[in-house]
Amino acid sequence: MNTITAFTRWLEEGGNTIGQIAITRLPDGWELRHAEDSGELKTYCRWQDARALANLDDSGAFRPIKTTRDLRHGWRLVLATVAEVARALDYFYPAMLGLWNADARGELVPTDLRETLARQTGMYRITQKITDEQAHAMIGKQCSRCLKTMLWKIDAGQPIASLPPEKHERAAFPLLCREACNLLVGLARGVVKDAG
Amino acid sequence: MLMLSKPNSALIIVGHGSTLNPDSSAPTFEHAEAIIDRCIFGEVHCAFWKEEPSFRQVLNCVESDDVYVVPNFISEGYFTRTVIPREFGLEGAVTRIGGRTVKYCEPVGSHEKMTELLLARAAAVAPGVPPNETTLFIVGHGTNLNDNSAVAAKREVDRISAMGIYGEVLSAYMEEAPLISDWATLAAQPNVVVVPFFIADGLHSYEDIPVLLGIATESPGEASADGASVFAGNPYRLREKTLFYASSIGTEHGFADVILDQVAAFDSVAR
Repeated sequence: MNTITAFTRWLEEGGNTIGQIAITRLPDGWELRHAEDSGELKTYCRWQDARALANLDDSGAFRPIKTTRDLRHGWRLVLATVAEVARALDYFYPAMLGLWNADARGELVPTDLRETLARQTGMYRITQKITDEQAHAMIGKQCSRCLKTMLWKIDAGQPIASLPPEKHERAAFPLLCREACNLLVGLARGVVKDAG
Repeated sequence: MLMLSKPNSALIIVGHGSTLNPDSSAPTFEHAEAIIDRCIFGEVHCAFWKEEPSFRQVLNCVESDDVYVVPNFISEGYFTRTVIPREFGLEGAVTRIGGRTVKYCEPVGSHEKMTELLLARAAAVAPGVPPNETTLFIVGHGTNLNDNSAVAAKREVDRISAMGIYGEVLSAYMEEAPLISDWATLAAQPNVVVVPFFIADGLHSYEDIPVLLGIATESPGEASADGASVFAGNPYRLREKTLFYASSIGTEHGFADVILDQVAAFDSVAR
């Protein structure tokens, strides 16, 4: 089943929340808004508007990882079709629809941290020197800010113990982390360099 | 204008992105939106080194079996030759990955249309200024490890010089000689047009180069929407010359056509 078909079915079966976004069926379309918002909101009506809405948090700071728990408030996005909703969600939560469906099809293969770091070159090659203890501490601090469900480990025998259990459990619509993001790899570089 | 129709193919436009500001990925997204509007491909995706979708995620989002990957990079170098192939798992121009055929196209900056876009950008930033009394600078980064941005800038300088339109055409760099900070002594003409040969606006075009040119005195920190105000100050009159400063070439809308041209160019080569 392709992603749009699977997503349409998920909506038809009553799915209405993805991450911090509430999705509501309207008589002639769909409304997306921050799940914590109610009352008067500024209305947008193009799927492309989602990019600017996703870029900055409430304080105006850039959100390099869009699945952190700091989606801005105060907007509603009204769209005509499920395809447009999917495009908007690709800006709010990049790749998450695709990974969700790949997971459902049994095609999603997580990559553990040691494998991710082992293939780094250039300025990130140094990240291979991060110790398990440093990695656990870094992940516990950084990844708890993110809504994604953690699928990878430090290595095959070493799950991430520094995160709460819910970080390893799939939500009703799971946002899936199949591999350490580049932001985390960049932080690992800082950890190794700071440790001298 | 070429007429592509690939309803059974996916296009992935690959960019660098940034963890600091949205400006780096913005042109790549805008070119993708422009291509989506033309309904040429069954799917259009973006992927980034520093943002999501990442290079590693994006193939999970593709439905089509036929996939074109176009790097939205100025030059052949570390990213196009090492990082992108490694992260996607590419083995050459054509790679079979999990039942898909992934076709790796040339980066946009290698396309001959760059010359035309640079000329258009230079003309637009200095309307009514006689080119024969103007020094045109194409500015690259320089000294990046394995990055051939300096080579790409020199290539464009040679092409534009050969046209005989501008009084003088020079390449200059942020971090290697000839330095863009020496623009006033390098330029022989009374008018100077500076076009950053970068894929996106951001820290370099909003802050670093303006400081090196002397049209901004201090760096306000992270690039922001306010960074674009440096272009509103044109023309700058300093060091006895009239200076026009353009935004990065990669923000030209014509880049969407170049991306499509790179797909067509891939198809035109027998493999």
